[in-house]
Formats: sequence, structure tokens, C-alpha cells
Amino acid sequence: MSARGINKNFGGVPALADVSIDLIPGEVHCLAGENGCGKSTLIKIISGAERPDSGEIIIDGVSFAQINAHAAIQGGIQVIYQDFSLFPNLTVAENIVLTAEVAVGRRLYAPASIRPRAEAILQELDIDLDLDREVGTLSVADKQLTAICRALVNDARAIIMDEPTTALTHTEVSRLFALVERLRTRGVALMFVSHKLEEVLAISQRLTIMRSGRQVVSGPTADFDQRSISSYMTGREVDDSRVVSELDVNAPLALEVTNLSLAGAYRDISFGLHKGEILGVTGLLGSGRTEIAESLFGVEVADEGQIRVAGEVVAIRSIQDAVAAGLGYVPEDRLSQGLFLDKSIADNIVAASLQSHRTRWGMLSRTQTAATIKRFFVGLKINARNADAPVRTLSGGNAQRVVLAKWLATEPTVLMLNGPTVGVDIGSKEEILELLRVEAAKGMSVIIISDDAPELVAACHRVLVIKNGRLTHVLEGDQISVDTIQERMSA
Amino acid sequence: MSQKSPRRDEAPSSTSHPVRQFNDQVGSWTRRVARPTGVQRGAGRMVVALLLAVALFTILNPRVFLSPINLQNIAVAAPEIGIIAIAMMLVMLTGGIDLSLVAIANFSAITISTLHTAVAASDPGLADNLGFLIVLAGIVAGMLGGAFNGFLVSVVGITPILATLATMQIYNGIAIVWTGGSTLYGAPTMLGAIGQAAVANIPLLFIIFVFTAVLVAVLVNRTALGRMIQLEGANTVAARYSAIPRRAVLMKTYTGGGLLAGLAGVLFLARNPTASADYGSSYVLLVIVIAVLGGTNPNGGFASVFGVVLATLTLQVVSSGFTAIRLSSYEYAIAQGVILITVMIIDSISSTRTKRPKKTKAPPGADTTTSDAALVRT
Repeated sequence: MSARGINKNFGGVPALADVSIDLIPGEVHCLAGENGCGKSTLIKIISGAERPDSGEIIIDGVSFAQINAHAAIQGGIQVIYQDFSLFPNLTVAENIVLTAEVAVGRRLYAPASIRPRAEAILQELDIDLDLDREVGTLSVADKQLTAICRALVNDARAIIMDEPTTALTHTEVSRLFALVERLRTRGVALMFVSHKLEEVLAISQRLTIMRSGRQVVSGPTADFDQRSISSYMTGREVDDSRVVSELDVNAPLALEVTNLSLAGAYRDISFGLHKGEILGVTGLLGSGRTEIAESLFGVEVADEGQIRVAGEVVAIRSIQDAVAAGLGYVPEDRLSQGLFLDKSIADNIVAASLQSHRTRWGMLSRTQTAATIKRFFVGLKINARNADAPVRTLSGGNAQRVVLAKWLATEPTVLMLNGPTVGVDIGSKEEILELLRVEAAKGMSVIIISDDAPELVAACHRVLVIKNGRLTHVLEGDQISVDTIQERMSA
Repeated sequence: MSQKSPRRDEAPSSTSHPVRQFNDQVGSWTRRVARPTGVQRGAGRMVVALLLAVALFTILNPRVFLSPINLQNIAVAAPEIGIIAIAMMLVMLTGGIDLSLVAIANFSAITISTLHTAVAASDPGLADNLGFLIVLAGIVAGMLGGAFNGFLVSVVGITPILATLATMQIYNGIAIVWTGGSTLYGAPTMLGAIGQAAVANIPLLFIIFVFTAVLVAVLVNRTALGRMIQLEGANTVAARYSAIPRRAVLMKTYTGGGLLAGLAGVLFLARNPTASADYGSSYVLLVIVIAVLGGTNPNGGFASVFGVVLATLTLQVVSSGFTAIRLSSYEYAIAQGVILITVMIIDSISSTRTKRPKKTKAPPGADTTTSDAALVRT
């Protein structure tokens, strides 16, 4: 399959300009680029979800000026989107086989005929999945496997995966990579969309980098290294090395946690956080790292233990308690927990600090809110025409800046961020970390909860490693490196 | 009202132009006027609808429709429906609904009428002196009804449509048992006076309606509570993570809805000194129609008080217009449905036209096509 000279405009703005890409059987082709560079648009055009303005798509030597979703599937092109497009209320077996059954126009559904086909594909790929479970109850990684199996049942000869590793843990990623390798040897052409550099280098044979709708460079992956990829992606040199300010050892404790426990999640967690310190909390998915943060923020109230904020013992029984005590939390799931997508950037920025913008008469002060909105809209370089634009129209990096602005507006003593740069492109990622460094230097304390080791290395004074609900290691100074963090996390 | 007349003069002259052009003109004009006051799209389209309705019935039967009595009737009948619709809007703003509003309004009216009759039986003069307190008791009864709804929805956690369906039956049932199903006569004389009074030919009832609408608009747009109500409706999970106290917000919203319904009950009595449990039974669904027509998003988070006021007037105009051209209330019911569907269709057409690039929904987390475009532009 190949696409030649694809052009696409949205409302007069070019989203793709003269992009050409080839998928060769038995090869993994990586499509890399920052958020908003046109990767998703290209996938949609190849899969027939969008029409190109010009250009052609060639499948098995047959040229299409545009292709519809049906023809793309007939041609063996399968896209695995980030949400997998599965039916959560059906079983794994049904999800794997049903679309193929529908495609051949079968009118009656026979459960007995479904199972053998689903079993066969699992065996072929050497995957372990419970066929009778409802897909809605599966983990993200297992949903992904289900989607891959479904693609293969549909005789996929080209599989396009859109950011497949975003929600996976390290072990799951390596499992996925092994599977991709098996698919490749079977002669499937794969396209892997990602903005994680290590992955790109590890998995692909061929690489295409896009920036602002243009194809910047294409070639064998062996010709690239991390530095060259990121400079092609961002158009500038990105410095991801460790930048940590000197911390005043006598700085008072902003947060002190003693023997915090929550049954079934974590036990006996104790640590201190200095004023102006950036503390990393890491661990595998399910290690308890998220639950600890959510307890501090009053989402899941801890069973026992003591929390002191700026020296005062505080009882955190609700999110309101936590915010009143001076804690802020940028949640893991930005889209559903962090943002009011249809509301304007302005409304989002002041959402958590409404009470502090009141006048004596209980009204919102227009001048004060406008000042706050302007301060953060400009200060955080949120890229939108104006602050009245709905947050839904923003890219990942900009949306995350809005969540950040919402919490900075509350002037928290301690700001906790869970996966602050998930789904954020490299350029924005560096800028968000720099923003945290600046705020920390001004006296705010920061906790970054993340399993992205390079990010922790880049910004944190200390890193706590959580394993099976226990605080197992505290890394400081020179101990903080990508290798040690990953080793301690999974060891 | 004064803004309307120049538009009406211009409407016939623009018949030579394409209708769409006229529509766009009106749209941009209303947007210009409406933008500074923070009014949203719901208001713009309702201005057009109201003008169309007025124009239509003026052409069909100018003598009856434009008669002072008819206009007076519209201005006197609209407030009670309008205030309940505003209450409905307020509750829908949180993503909920309150089916018991009309029952609460009747309950309030019955409370006032019963109290008045009881006091008047011993001392008519005292009843008139206590008129204000008696009316206040009715409004408080409404607030209590709303507060109970709020309790069920926020503390107990029952789905709003079910909770208020149940309380609608309860309040209605209590009212029937209490009155024995009969119509009560008698209300404080001050209410009768209010019902009859007018300032510069504008009925006092209508002024109360506008005043209430302005107060609620200020509450929704200019207070912390109002913003919290909007945010709660826009995304309840994000609202929780933004430390917005869900229980308190819902409690206040439903109590506020009950208060407005109680006020509507007072207006029932002011118009007509009788109270019964089955008054205005057709209002329950009508106010939902009005709220949605006025630009309230049924999923919550977005609404315009001005839009709801205009929608109220539009439906009143249609109602009295139908009477003027001798159509029945059944045909009016058909018209309500047709208007609602038409506005929704126009809405979805205009929103797909402006949002064409977003036609295919990107999977969550993926770069949306608009953000692609935005980045390309920079």
C-alpha cells in the first residue's frame, strides 16, 4: 500500500501538504511527529475516514483518488485507534469475530461458529486472553490485543496503530513489541504512530517524520538517533538533560506524610517535601502511585496516617479539604477529570479558584477574573486565538497547560501532577517541565507522579519508587538516572 | 420591546432579498447586540423565531392579534410559565431536570389560598394585613419542595428525572388529598391588586417576570455559585476534581428551582384567585420545550436566561395567535412539537456547517483535526 502526494486543507489551512508514504510487507514503518502535525489526518485519509483534496492511494497496484472506509478494509487496511473502537458489552470472542461476520453479510449470529475462529487467531499469535470475558472489564493492554486479533481476522495486510503504547506499562509495551515482531515476520505491513523516541528506534525499520503537515524526512530508521529525530520533529534542538536547581537544605517542609495507608492500595507511606522541591513518585501501573496522590487530594480518603501541610496537621476527607489545605492536583485523565471540554479556556482557568475571585457582594469580580485569565493565558503561552475558544479545540500540550493554569490560579502550596506530559508533544513537554521548575523556584512544591523516567530525571530533586503499595527506594542526586529508575521500578 | 419595532418594519422590505441573507443579517445583528451582555446562541435564534411568529400572526389576523387585549393577555399569561421555565433551565444547567416544578407551584398556591381562607374566616382584616406573610409562606413551601428534590438528587443520589417524577406525584397527591380535589377560592387581596396593576401599560406581572429573569441571569453568569452550576453540568467529574462542592451546588440549585416555582404559584393566584391541584398540568412538558428552545443544553453546562425569556414569549405569541385564527389548543400542541423539531434541525445544520472540519470525531487523546489546522497556521 502506498499514498502519494496527499494534500488536505481544513478551512483553507493546509493540514497535509504533499505527503507520500509506503507500507511494505514485513516492515514496520514509524510515523513520528508532535501532536497536531497531521499524523491523525494522514491515518484517516489512508483508512478512508477523510477525503484528501488531491493525491492518490495505491493498494496492490490499483490507484484510488480517494478511498472509502469499506474499500480500505477490503484492501486489507486496518486501523487500531487509541480507543480501539471495541464493543465493551460484548465478549472478547464476539469482538474479534463479529466485524468479519458482518463484512461477509451474514444475517444470523451463531455463537458456536464464533469461538473456533477466535481461538485459532489467539493460538496463531500465541496470545493468552479469556475469550468469554466482556471487553469492558479488560485492561487497556488486553483490549489492544483484542483489537489486533480483530484486525487479523479481517485479513489485515496492513495494520496501522495510532499511539498504541500511550496507556501501557513497560512490561506490556515489550509484550506488544514482541507481537509486532511476530506480525512482521508473517508478512504484515505495519505502521506505528508514536512520538516516543525510544520506541520509534526500537521497533521500526523505516521512519517518516512529520512537522506542521509536511513530511520532513523519510528513511531507514538506522540512519537516525534520538537527537536527530527530536530535532526533526520540533525543528529545533531540544534539551532533555537534567536541569535541577540547587535546593536549600534548610527549606521548611511544605508537606509531611507519616504512615499513610489505604487498604488494598498502599501501606506505611512516609515522606517529606521541602518548599520549592520537585519530587518524583514513580512505580508501575497499579503499584499504588496514583492512589497515594488521590488520597492526598481527598479523592480516596486514606485509612490511617497523618498529613501535615506547611507544618499544620490537616484532615483530608474530601477534595474541598485538600484544596483548602493548599493542595492542587492535575489528574491522570486530562480529558474527563481535568477539563470542561466544551467550556472556554477562560472558564476552565478560573474553575477551581472561583471563591477567591469574589467581591464583597458575592459577585464574581470581572476585573479580577479577567486579570487571572490573561495572566495564565499569556504566561503559559496557551496557543489559541483567544481565551474564549472551547478547550476541545486545543491540542494535548495546550490542554494540559489549561489544567495547569487552573491549579496555579489557586496558588497551591503543593501541586501534584499525575502524568503531566502524557499525550503531550516533545516541545510542550519540555516547556511544561520548565514551567514547573520556575514555579518551584518561586516557592511552590511539586510532586510529579509518572512512569516516564526521562521526565523524572529531567526535573526531579528526588524520586520515590513505589512497588506493590510500599515505598521501596528514595533516589537522590546522582542516583537519579533513567536506568536506575526503570530498574528499581520493576526489580 | 423597543428593539423589536425597527426590525419588524424592515422585515417586509427584505422580502425581495433571499431569506437566508435576511436571516444572516438578523443573526449578526442580534449577535452584536447580544455579545456584550454575555448572551449565547440560544438567544439569537429565538429573536428570529419571535419576530417570525409576530409577523405571521400580524399578517394572518392583524385586527385580533394586535388588539391591546390580546397583547395584554400575552404579557399576563407569559410570566407564570416563563418563571417555571427559568427554574427548569436552572436545574437543566446542572445536567438534571425537575418534573415536579408545576406541582410545587400549585402546592404553593394552595398553601397561600388555604392559609388566607383560614385566617380570613376569623378576621378578614387580619388576613389582608398578614397578606405578605401568607404569600411568603407559599414561597417557603415551594423552597422546601425544591430542597427535598435537592436532597434526593445530591445526598441520596437518585437520578433527577426519577427523583422528581416521584416528588411530582407526591406533591400533586398531597395537594389533591388536602383540597379534596376541589378548586379553592380566595387569595390575599394584595395579590389581586398585583395581578391587575400595570406600569405604563405593562402589566406588573410581566415586570416581575423580567425582574426575576435578570436576577437569575446575574446569578448564573456573575456569581461563583452560577459558574459552579454551569461547571457541574458541563463535566461533573472535572467539577469534582476542581473542588466544586457537588452536594451544596445541587442542593442550592434545586432549592432555587423550588423557590422560583413557589413564586410562579403566587403569580397563579395573582392572575386568578383560585387554586387547584391540577392547574397547569400541560405546563410540565411545555416548560421543558421552552427551556430547550431557549438554548438550554439538556446535557447541562450551557443555557441562556435571555433565550428562555424569548422562547416563553414566542410560544405565548403562537398560543394566542392560534386563538386569534381560531385554532384549538390541540393544534397549538402540534405547533409546539413542530417548532421544537424545526429549531433543533436548524441548530444541527448550522453547527455542522461551522464545524465541518470536526465532522469525524477523533479518538480521545488523538490530535483533533482542528488542532492540526491550528498548529499549521502558526
